[in-house]
Amino acid sequence: MSNTLLIMKREYRERVRTKAFVFMTLLVPGVMALSFGAAYLTAAHAGQDQHIAIASNDAQLALAVRNQLTDSKTAPIHADVIAPADESQQNALIRRVNDKQLDGYLWLGASAGQATEVQYDTYSAPDMFVSSRIQDAVDNAQVRMNLEDKGFHKADVDRLMKQVTVKTAQVKDGKVVTSDAGKSFWVGYLMMFLLYFSVTYFSMNVARSVIQEKTSRIFEVMLATVKPSEMMAGKMLGVGAAGLTQILIWGVLAVGVSLGTRLAHGEAGQIHLGVSALQMGAFCVYFLLGFALYSSIAAAAGACFNAESEVQQMSIAIVLPMLVAMLSFGYIESSPNAAYSVFLSIFPLTSPLAMFLRMLAQTPPLWQIAVSVAVLLLTIYGTLWVAARIYRVGILMYGKRPTLPELLRWLRYA
Amino acid sequence: MQIVELNGISKAYGAKVAVDKLSLSIPSGAMYGLLGPNGAGKTSSIRMMIGMTMPDSGTVELFGKPFERKALERVGYLPEERGLYKKMNVGEQLVFFGRLHGLSAAEALRRSKEWAEKLQIAEALPKKTDELSKGMQQKIQFISTLLHEPELIIMDEPFSGLDPVNTTLLEDTLLEQKRAGKAILFSTHRMDQVEKLCDSICLIDGGKAVLQGSMREIKSRYPRNRVMLEYEGSAKFAENPLVAELKDYGGHAELKLKAGADSQELLRSLMQQVKVNKFEVVEPSLEEIFIETVGGKSHE
Repeated sequence: MSNTLLIMKREYRERVRTKAFVFMTLLVPGVMALSFGAAYLTAAHAGQDQHIAIASNDAQLALAVRNQLTDSKTAPIHADVIAPADESQQNALIRRVNDKQLDGYLWLGASAGQATEVQYDTYSAPDMFVSSRIQDAVDNAQVRMNLEDKGFHKADVDRLMKQVTVKTAQVKDGKVVTSDAGKSFWVGYLMMFLLYFSVTYFSMNVARSVIQEKTSRIFEVMLATVKPSEMMAGKMLGVGAAGLTQILIWGVLAVGVSLGTRLAHGEAGQIHLGVSALQMGAFCVYFLLGFALYSSIAAAAGACFNAESEVQQMSIAIVLPMLVAMLSFGYIESSPNAAYSVFLSIFPLTSPLAMFLRMLAQTPPLWQIAVSVAVLLLTIYGTLWVAARIYRVGILMYGKRPTLPELLRWLRYA
Repeated sequence: MQIVELNGISKAYGAKVAVDKLSLSIPSGAMYGLLGPNGAGKTSSIRMMIGMTMPDSGTVELFGKPFERKALERVGYLPEERGLYKKMNVGEQLVFFGRLHGLSAAEALRRSKEWAEKLQIAEALPKKTDELSKGMQQKIQFISTLLHEPELIIMDEPFSGLDPVNTTLLEDTLLEQKRAGKAILFSTHRMDQVEKLCDSICLIDGGKAVLQGSMREIKSRYPRNRVMLEYEGSAKFAENPLVAELKDYGGHAELKLKAGADSQELLRSLMQQVKVNKFEVVEPSLEEIFIETVGGKSHE
């Protein structure tokens, strides 16, 4: 067996046997599912079981707003109406909120011919979702009242004000395919985060591994037998394989969970993850390409430093482009063909994440995928060339961190 | 056959010259001492010897041929700073290093067990490295260096951190290797060990060889002007005009004669002051030669 394979096998086994690996494999999707679930529930059940007071001089408006807030299947808000209301009642309401008898009070300063002044004061920090519901409720109540004032019947107003449901679909290969916009968004978000996490986490793992071998002086023993390039390659392959294993476990878990849910709903035989096989394949390919690029940078960085803490300080700087791509998620998903999205999907430091995101939104032109992969492969080749040279000198250098001129000199060493 | 042949190798890091035109050769079956103060260039020389770094000039030959990586399978290197994977099982670790040196997994495992028995650490094999004492880790490192039966063994400070019992055990192991015809390069600060174990030495200072040759020949270059004395009574040795240097431990003293001074005259003069139980004229120790040659200066 070649030295590179032996080193790869050792790295792989050391990684997948650790408790941290098992923990991360199960914890990361678990934590993400929990946080996404929490975000969903927060949005869907905003204001549920809250008790507020609606104070206004216009009793009709106050009652209409109350109807809007209490008329919710998922999250009804209990509201008392105080009308007409004056300043002394506002002071009393403030006291009741302060004594936690009320979660908040809504002040509707209605005056004839002018826009309604709406004030919502709460004991706890203002809640974006509840504020949004109140705004909708006041808007709806005003429209209703105006329509009824203009002589519309209540039944007609109900029909006019009824919310519509938007069905979403995607056109793929000339066919309309049913696609749940909400599900696509969350699946895309989850996969994007997993890809970002996997590339950065495992790349930084390479840097940490290099530093550990440097500080424990294992390099001295290893280099008496193997070439630095074999060591670096073995390390990157081993850590990368551990990353791929983790992704495969996530894939199997996702299929398992989906299948389990379908079976529970009596829909045996269908698995629907909201992701196509092509997207799953792209996820693995972009993980490997992204990892190859970032882990070679990390290996060179690890060889230059002398302590893990130094690498940790630098790690944010190293993965910054990936962070930029991740933060552009919303923009890329909504405008996958905009110039900025196309640039991010071809620029090699952001393309592993950005091109994948574009592929989630819609299949980009084939030539753009080809250019993106070609640029990325060329960059990986160049980075590996530079990293291998820095690595072979850096791992034997202890003490102070090298300066840029020193790094350039290392590139020229035989 | 010369196992190692360095021909005028030099290495500079920026403006600092680490090794300056160093030449030495080590035949098979020899225990060779590489000595020098801290920063003298010992590690840099060893690194060039095993291809870890390339010399700027000069050539390295191993086993009678210009350096090639293939030759490293016949070399065992124990660096000064120990390097073991802390979280890895000791047995697996030895097999891993054995395989890197070209052994099969089964053969590496068999030899690991044999060596562990021999060095009395069989119980350590299933443990993780960081569960072992420093001395035990040292033995593991020692085994990993010898597992593939190298013909050239390079040991940088092999006995550091070991108690006297284990030091003797490993010294005996090295002597066994020497008798089996292996060439051993031994780098250390412990002059007593070099004196006891090595046939030849090379003392380097500032990257240059300042003293080189067989132990016997080097010692014969220095006059026998040291006196080991055991006595009873009190005497003022320092005032004696024949004495150049003195270490008086009370009842036991080491004296160095002045240039040209006669040891018999010193004996007569001492007998008038104290009762002499032992008076032995000896050659200088390697430590004294070392200090005299490098002038006691520190390079770090």
